[in-house]
Amino acid sequence: MQPDAKLTFLDRFSALRETQFGTFVPVLLALAAIWGYFGLVLPFIDLISGQADSFRAIFLSPRNIYNLFMQSAVIATLAVGITIVLLLGDIDLSAAATAGVCAALLGVLVLSGVPGWPACIIVIFVGIIMGAAQGLLVAYVGIPSFVVTLAGLLGYQGLMQKILPTGNLNVGDPFVRGIARVLIPDLWGIVLGLAVVGLFAYANLRKQARRKALGLELDSALALWGQVIAFTVIVVAVVLTLNAYRSLPLLLVLLVAITALLGWITTSTPYGRSLFAVGGNAESARRVGMKVKRIRVSAFAIVGLMAAIGGIFGASRYGSVSYTAFAGGSLLLEAIGAAVIGGTSLFGGRGSVWNAILGALVIGSLGNGLDLTGASAADKLMVSGAILLLAVAIDALSRPSNGSGR
Amino acid sequence: MTSENKVVGQAAPPAHLAVRGIHKRFGGVHALRGVDFEVARGEVMALVGDNGAGKSTLMKVLAGAHLADDGAFFLDGKPAEVTSPNDASELGIQIVYQDLALCENLDVSANLSLGSEPVKPGWSFLPRLLRPLDDLEMEVKAKKAIDRLEVRTLQSVRAKVGGLSGGQRQAIAIARAVGAESTVVMLDEPTAALGVAQTRQVLEVVKRLRETNHAVVYISHNMRDIFEVSDRITVLRHGTNVATYTTSETNPDEIVVAMTRGLDTENGNAA
Ligand SMILES: Nc1ncnc2c1ncn2[C@@H]1O[C@H](COP(=O)(O)OP(=O)(O)OP(=O)(O)O)[C@@H](O)[C@H]1O
Ligand SMILES: [Mg+2]
Repeated sequence: MQPDAKLTFLDRFSALRETQFGTFVPVLLALAAIWGYFGLVLPFIDLISGQADSFRAIFLSPRNIYNLFMQSAVIATLAVGITIVLLLGDIDLSAAATAGVCAALLGVLVLSGVPGWPACIIVIFVGIIMGAAQGLLVAYVGIPSFVVTLAGLLGYQGLMQKILPTGNLNVGDPFVRGIARVLIPDLWGIVLGLAVVGLFAYANLRKQARRKALGLELDSALALWGQVIAFTVIVVAVVLTLNAYRSLPLLLVLLVAITALLGWITTSTPYGRSLFAVGGNAESARRVGMKVKRIRVSAFAIVGLMAAIGGIFGASRYGSVSYTAFAGGSLLLEAIGAAVIGGTSLFGGRGSVWNAILGALVIGSLGNGLDLTGASAADKLMVSGAILLLAVAIDALSRPSNGSGR
Repeated sequence: MTSENKVVGQAAPPAHLAVRGIHKRFGGVHALRGVDFEVARGEVMALVGDNGAGKSTLMKVLAGAHLADDGAFFLDGKPAEVTSPNDASELGIQIVYQDLALCENLDVSANLSLGSEPVKPGWSFLPRLLRPLDDLEMEVKAKKAIDRLEVRTLQSVRAKVGGLSGGQRQAIAIARAVGAESTVVMLDEPTAALGVAQTRQVLEVVKRLRETNHAVVYISHNMRDIFEVSDRITVLRHGTNVATYTTSETNPDEIVVAMTRGLDTENGNAA
């Protein structure tokens, strides 16, 4: 199909965003802009103004990239969970507080002698129950999710303080610490990366072959290969960069694996389809016999699950649990911001968990870059706010109902 | 007040779906007061009446979306039980709502299999909700359904519904109803929001349903459309039957009078 010459820029933009890979474009551009600014433009300015030694290309060094990924991991974990309820058109304000309660519980459990892995499993169950309880209130009592989870935010913050009266607890358990400390050996990291790339290419090519066999319209070769090549480049670059500093950390592998599982469930199963259907038109979903209430509860349970995992990741990475790192800090807003910056719609029915990971990288990169340039906390907040606003504006402008009534 | 079914003119075809003495109350509102209604296969039965006459309510009762307070269902003469949308769809009764209830964020093929998505074989260890979708099978099914209705303006079954025209959406909503192995398809004001060309498109689709031996119920306020597609016309007023006419033996004026004033009992009969 030839693009109509009369299409406005906005039309093209919304059309682009409708394609499968196109949803990644805005957030990838944002990421490229931020990395370009902190990694190339700033060092260049420093170079010509003669202050080169104070701030060289630190930002794009393998060491900083490694830290950046690890810093963004907890935000990303929560953002992936929050994406699931955003798909329904709901919101969860209690995710960070849930993560805090779970992390605190984990700390107390291992301190009292429970071994690491059973403690993690208990904590995950607690997280699921905390999420599902809110889901029950939203779905069966009919309270808006904003209110339920606002109450959850307050209540769980209090609960965390009850569990941690001192507000701080060190976690030394080797199993828990191991999640963030264990590194995949360089070679295995490369093998893993190539295996994932191979699987991705195989799945795409096989699908194209089946399309041909069934006489369905084909994806354009450009889109197909572009997708495979872009994916390959990203995976290989990430693995090599991380190997150049240390190695692929187990925590990132776990995060990607969990996200891949949730990504598959949301896009390729009847359950995932029902999430999108409820988010797009709940009445329609109900009429075709979907159990809308149960779907709501399950989505909140998934947020609880991801919050618990985020709590475990956080405790593992910091080696401690503190009130400010979870419930009382900026984690919640960063996680919601990450999901939205990634391109998941606040209006429901559109988004993806992979976008949440990229959004978390945007938020993490901003914080990291501004830290490196010595910007104040105030600057960081204001820049993050501006980026978030921009992301929501893009979301609102590219809504299908907005201006494309052909 | 009598609720007996007056058939004017020649004998009616044998009913496929019939209801007798349907009552429906919403709190204080007595929306349906003993309505009789029937439709045969291979016929388009128009259902007309003024705003608030109870057309949509009757249709929702037939589709199991509302539970009748009283009344009986018959399918091919045998008593049937319709207490939920699932009951209705198992009997082959499908409804296209006034608000189409499509998911604009999903593509055409996803909308057409919504709620009954095909899954790939061989994953039976997983619960059905978590088995992999067979989205190519979904597209094949969608293409067949669209082709059967001959919706020529639709380019791709992978287009998002949010970007389609009103007529295309209507056609997709109808295709969804037809695709579900249905024998009765009910349409609530399918052309209310459409322009001339798109109305035409929908009327063609309705005629095609008659050719495929569906029993079609067609609600509309537009007399021209009704006289173009329908075989018989049932008139409702204030939640009761006025009469059922054979389209070829009546005219729009008579229908409008029946809709607005009912049959004058003093004057006897409408014929
Ligand atoms: N869910 C409901 N709750 C309460 N009253 C209702 C409900 N649905 C319909 N009614 C009432 O039942 C009566 C019949 O309504 P219905 O929607 O069936 O009319 P209609 O013939 O479809 O009208 P229109 O041509 O305007 O669509 C009206 O008085 C309406 O107010
Ligand atoms: Mg109506």
